[in-house]
Amino acid sequence: MKRFPSAVAGGVSATTVMTLLLLLLEVETRSAMDIFYVIARFIGTPNDPAVGFALFVVAGVVAWPLLFLALEPYLPRGPDPAARGVVFASLLWVPFVITGRGDIGGPLLVLFSAYTLFAHWAYGFTLGAVYGRLLDRP
Amino acid sequence: MLDTIPGVALAAIGLAVLAAYYRLRSDRPAMSFADGGTASVTVGLTGTEKPAGILRWFTTVDHKDIGLLYILFGTAAALWGATDAMMIRTELLVPESAVWNVETYNAVFTTHGFTMLFFFVTPVFTGIANYVLPLLLGADDLAFPRINAIAFWLLPPSLVMVRGGLITDVIGMVVGVLPVDVTLFEALEPVAMGWTMYTPLSVEMANPQISVALLGLHLSGVATTMAAINFIVTVFTERPPELGWDKLDIFSWNILVTSALILLAFPLLGSTLIMLLLDRNFGTTFFAIEGGGPMLWQHLFWFFGHPEVYILVLPAFGLVSLILPKFCGRRLFGFRFIVYSTIAIGILSFGVWAHHMFATGMDPRLRASFMAVSLAIAIPSAIKEFNWIATMWNGRLRLDAPLICIIGAMSTFVVGGITGVFLASVPVDLVLHDTHYVVGHFHLIVVGVIPLAMIAASYYWFPLITGRMYNQRLARAQTVLLIIGTFVTFIPLLILGYMGMPRRYGIYPTEFITLNQIASLGAFLLGVSVFLWLVNMIQSARVGPVVRDADVWNLKETGQFTREWQWFEDRLEERRGKVEPEGDPGSESETTRAVDPDDDAES
Repeated sequence: MKRFPSAVAGGVSATTVMTLLLLLLEVETRSAMDIFYVIARFIGTPNDPAVGFALFVVAGVVAWPLLFLALEPYLPRGPDPAARGVVFASLLWVPFVITGRGDIGGPLLVLFSAYTLFAHWAYGFTLGAVYGRLLDRP
Repeated sequence: MLDTIPGVALAAIGLAVLAAYYRLRSDRPAMSFADGGTASVTVGLTGTEKPAGILRWFTTVDHKDIGLLYILFGTAAALWGATDAMMIRTELLVPESAVWNVETYNAVFTTHGFTMLFFFVTPVFTGIANYVLPLLLGADDLAFPRINAIAFWLLPPSLVMVRGGLITDVIGMVVGVLPVDVTLFEALEPVAMGWTMYTPLSVEMANPQISVALLGLHLSGVATTMAAINFIVTVFTERPPELGWDKLDIFSWNILVTSALILLAFPLLGSTLIMLLLDRNFGTTFFAIEGGGPMLWQHLFWFFGHPEVYILVLPAFGLVSLILPKFCGRRLFGFRFIVYSTIAIGILSFGVWAHHMFATGMDPRLRASFMAVSLAIAIPSAIKEFNWIATMWNGRLRLDAPLICIIGAMSTFVVGGITGVFLASVPVDLVLHDTHYVVGHFHLIVVGVIPLAMIAASYYWFPLITGRMYNQRLARAQTVLLIIGTFVTFIPLLILGYMGMPRRYGIYPTEFITLNQIASLGAFLLGVSVFLWLVNMIQSARVGPVVRDADVWNLKETGQFTREWQWFEDRLEERRGKVEPEGDPGSESETTRAVDPDDDAES
C-alpha cells in the first residue's frame, strides 16, 4: 500500500479507538466532563458540539495522519512508527488539554488530563502501528 | 415498521442469513471433525492450517489461542475496572461530593467489584491455565476443546450484560446525534447496589438494568463452570502414564482444586441469582420478610462468595509456588504440604461463609463456630507462606522481574492475610465490619497477591508465548512501583478503618482527608505501573528482541527445565529447521519486526 492511504487507514482506526475511549469516559463519569463540548472547544466551535465532532473526525482521519507523514522521519523514538506516533500524539494533547479544559477543575482535572493523555497515546500508537503494518515496514 | 415484527422473528432471520452464508461460501469446509480440524473439499488434499486473519480467532479451538483470548479479554476488563477504581479514588480526594454525585459513586464501586471479580481475575487465570496446563501435562489439548471455546465466547456477552447500562448510554449518545428519541437507551442505568446485591435493596430498586446484570452474571457463572469441568477432566484423563499424582506440577494441582471449588460454588450462585430475578420480576418471596427473609440471600450468596475468594487466589498461589523455585535455584520446599494445604483451603473455604455476616445478629453459638473455622484457615495459608520462605532460604536468588513480583506478593500476603485473621475474630469484626479496614484487607490480596502473580507469570512465560523478550529493566521498575503502590494505597485504608471510616460512601468527615489523599496517590501510582506493564507487553510483542535459546531463565543448570520450556525448545528447533535451508537465521536483526508470518503469536 502507498504511504497516503496507509496513513489514512491508520487515522480511521486510531480515530475509532480514541472516540471509543472518550465515549467510555463520558458515560463512565455520567457526563461530568461533557467531552463533546471539550472537543468542540478544542476545534473552535464551542457552542456546536455536532459540527465540532465532525471536524474532529476529519482532523483525526485526514489532517493529523498527513502531518504525521510529513513529520515522521524527524520524530524521536524511531524507527518504530508506533512509538513515533505516541510522541506525535503527545504534542497534539498539549493544545487539546489547554483549550478543551473549559471550567473543569480540582480533582476532576487530574483525571481528565491523565485520561485524555492516555487516549491520545492510544490514538498515536494505533495510527503508527496500522500505518507501519500496511507499509510492511518495521 | 420494526416494532410490528416480533424480535424472535428478527433473530431467526438473522441466524438463517448467517447459516445460509456459511453453507454457501465457496471455500466452506466439506466436513469438520470433533478436534476442530477440517477436511478440504478438494479430493486428496487435507487442510491442516488454521484459517487466516480474524476468522482464526473467532473459530479457534486450540487451547493456546483460547488462552490468549482469555488473557486479552481479562486484561481489557481489568483496564475497565481500573478506570472505575481511579474514579473512586478521584472522588475520595476531597471529603465532599465534588467530582461525581453519590449515585454515580454507588454505581462505580458496584461495577468495579463485578468487573474485577468476575471478568478480570478468573478469566486471566483461566487463560494462563489454558495456555500452559496442557503443556505442563504433556497433553495435546484440553479434554473438550470445543467446550473450551464456548466457555470463552460466553464471557464477552455476559460482560456486556453486566455493564449494559454504560453500553446503552454509549449507543444512546451516538444515536443521540441524529434527531431520534433516545429515552429507550437511557432506561438502563448502571447498577448501584453493591457487588454483594443484598436484599431487600436489590429487590426494591426499580432500575431494569439490575435484572439484565443478574442474567449476565449467571451467564458468566455458566462459562466459568464449563471451563472448570474442562480443567478437572483434563487433569484426570489427559496425563501421560508416567505422570502420576505424585509428579503432577503444583500449578496444575492449584487449578484442579480451584476448578473443584468453581464446580461446587458457581452453580449455587446461579440458582441464587435466579431466585433474586424471580423476586424482582415475578413476585416470588424468596427474600421477602414473609418468605425466607433477607438473611437467606446473605447465606446463599456468601456460601458462594467465600469459596469465590479462594477461587480467585488459589491460582495465584499456584503460580507463586511454580515460579518461585525457578528463580531460587532450589526445588519447592515441602511440595507435598503445599498440595495438602491447597486442598485444605479448598475444603475449609466452604465452612466459613457466615464470617461475612457476624454483624447481622446471628446466634452467638453459630458465630463462634464460624469464627473457629475462619481462624483455622490461617494454618494452611501460613504453611504456604513458610514453605515459600524456606524455598528461598539458602537459594541463589536472581532478582528478575518475576521474582520481584513474587517477593512482593508474599509481602502483601502477610499483611493482607493477617488482617484477615483479626477480622475472623467476632468482637473485632463487630467493630471493623463495613469499614475501610475490610476494603484494605482484601485489596492487599486482590491487588497485591493476585495481579503480582499474574504479572510474574506474564514475565515468566512471555518469551514462550511470543518468541520475543521484553525490556527487563522496565519490567523491574514496573514491578517495584506496583508493590509500592499497593502498600501506599491500602495501608492507609486499614488505618482509616481503625478510625471508623465506613465503606461505600462518597463523602466523609474532613479529619480523614490526609489518609484518603495518600491512598489516592498510591492508586495513581498503581495506574502508572499498570500502564508501564501494558506498554512493555505491547511493544515487546511487536518489536522485542527475538528469542533464540529456549532456556531463557537458565533452568537447565538447576534441572528445572520443565515440559512447557521443552515444548518451546522443540518449536524453536522446528522453526530453525524450516529456516536453515533458505539462509542463516542469525543474520536477521534482533530489533526489527520479522516479516516471517510464523513469528506472530503461535501457530
